[in-house]
Amino acid sequence: MGKRTIIPFGPQHPVLPEPVHLDLVIEDERVVEAIPSIGYIHRGLEKLVEKKEYTEMVYVIERICGICSFGHGWGYCAAVEGAMDIKVPERAEYLRTIWHELGRMHSHLLWLGLLADGFGFESLFMHCWRIRETVLDIFEETTGGRVIFSVCKVGGLRKDVDAKTLEKMSGLLNGIKKELQELTDVFLEDRSVKNRLCGVGVLSKEEAEELGAVGPMARASGVAQDMRMAGHGKYLELGFEPVVETDGDCYARCKVRLREVFQSIDLINKAIDEIPEGDIAVPVKGNVDGEFITRMEQPRGEAIYYAKGQGTKFLERMRVRTPTNANIPAMVKTLQGCDLADVPMLVLTIDPCISCTER
Amino acid sequence: MSDKKYMVQEFVAVESATLLEYMKDIKAEGYRLAQICAMKKEGDIELIYSFDKDHLMKNIRVIVPENQEIESISDIYWYAFIYENEMHDLFGVKFRHLALDYGGNFFKVSEPTPWNPKE
Amino acid sequence: MAVFKIGKVILRSLFKKPATLMYPIKPREWQERTRGHIEINEADCILCGICAKRCPTLAINVDKAARTWTIERMLCIQCGACAENCPKKCLLMKPDYTSPDVVKVTDTFNIPDAEKKTEKTSAGSGAAPVCDRETCIYCGICAKQCPCNAITVDRKEKTWEVDENVCISCGICVEKCPKNSLKID
Repeated sequence: MGKRTIIPFGPQHPVLPEPVHLDLVIEDERVVEAIPSIGYIHRGLEKLVEKKEYTEMVYVIERICGICSFGHGWGYCAAVEGAMDIKVPERAEYLRTIWHELGRMHSHLLWLGLLADGFGFESLFMHCWRIRETVLDIFEETTGGRVIFSVCKVGGLRKDVDAKTLEKMSGLLNGIKKELQELTDVFLEDRSVKNRLCGVGVLSKEEAEELGAVGPMARASGVAQDMRMAGHGKYLELGFEPVVETDGDCYARCKVRLREVFQSIDLINKAIDEIPEGDIAVPVKGNVDGEFITRMEQPRGEAIYYAKGQGTKFLERMRVRTPTNANIPAMVKTLQGCDLADVPMLVLTIDPCISCTER
Repeated sequence: MSDKKYMVQEFVAVESATLLEYMKDIKAEGYRLAQICAMKKEGDIELIYSFDKDHLMKNIRVIVPENQEIESISDIYWYAFIYENEMHDLFGVKFRHLALDYGGNFFKVSEPTPWNPKE
Repeated sequence: MAVFKIGKVILRSLFKKPATLMYPIKPREWQERTRGHIEINEADCILCGICAKRCPTLAINVDKAARTWTIERMLCIQCGACAENCPKKCLLMKPDYTSPDVVKVTDTFNIPDAEKKTEKTSAGSGAAPVCDRETCIYCGICAKQCPCNAITVDRKEKTWEVDENVCISCGICVEKCPKNSLKID
């Protein structure tokens, strides 16, 4: 039996993508136990509900995270609209779906780049981010901002997109599809990449259900769970099916996310064909009374939004539960028994977003 | 028209004494714990436990007077330690028999229980 | 056993021009809708103060006595709420960003005196609102929303009055009335 040492894998480290702290108990280069702790960037954003009116709170909630920004805006607006019983027009639902899928594409492309950087393949990282720039240019052309959009409001949307821009968007996305097809071959077929990814951090189906994993982490282990089947937006009308793999290792999670990018491109093209004409917002009067709880499928998993009103302009409580919060126990479990050199890969496969976890 | 599963809102009120029995029944039915949310009311703290099965949600509401202890459900659902530690650090809710107890050091806050300040 | 699958992509990018921009040496080409910074058209401003109320970060300051409109550039989050809610549409969102600096920049604009009411070229007509007593329910929402406190409403006595000297014809009362009983000709 070897000697045990404790290594702090701190909030600051060149290979770590997010400020999470792990205490690794290792024994001769194998990790025996891992204890996480967070709290380095807690901003207390939910408490601002006492000072900002419910129409202005959107700007705060959007800025919880830069990568999943549209999902948070839509989730908050959906929770407040449910509490006030407002029905949003059809064109607004289609546009919200299109922007949300674009957000998913840019988040997965960012993650693929970080994964390549994690095992040292820097030129692949740069090529993934070069493709992502096209998506960010689409965002700037339609909403005005590259990362924070400020386009969702309670009752609908603030800006409309005309048919010519939608056609142009469709052309750009087909160009992305061709370039991404070449990079997919590198991720899934190249021998040096497969050596780093196959068989690392296996999570079986029973363990994924027992630990409450969400998002691509659960879908790569065979659990068919995707909140887009719950009926919000226009996903069920566009014929959506969750992407599931069964192996449960890092290679399967990479494959799930790559397939989801292609699925998003198909969903957006279908939505652009079917989008109707009409208004994009309904007028909103009055205060919020009552409570409502709703869920969104963020790129990282399931996010829950709970809004409770008390009859005045200010909400009583707004709670956002983000997917990384639910994936941390699964990460702790996969870290037991792995090599020290695989620790950054495993921290990356849950797609951590610590600024969402700590709001 | 698609079935709007997300519009179903089910809220059930449960006493804190019978909480563990209820949790064991729910686990046997196959529900997964989604989140625990705490809200400060006059002299009490209201906890909402949310469960999910097949994209349908069920919510349990429990009211706990401020300085009373409540049983932790981490024997039944191990991963509840994340939510319970966060609520202990931010609101001051006391849990008994936590599986992985950080003792107040999970969140690094500058003053104790910032969301439930002691005047 | 596939090796060096990325070879084709790398060879192709050897012969293309670089994907990066030489910013800030070469200036950036902005898109039409980019939210960069706010500019004001001073001649149309009526100093109603609605933009200051709607700003979520309190970056705008309107001083009626001194006739100035101030914005703190570093507090502005470029959301566009002020430009949407301005009744005279004198605030515009321009596409270039505020450049980074070592001090916090505050811009102040002087609003020229209002010309005679008949010469006004902007959309307002300069008249005070008129209330239809048949439909009015004396709820008092118009009085609460008025930025100049020009309207007085008494629910019990069922009175409704407007002070025409103070009214600036912004039109907010017309928009907020739940019974649509107010009109500006």
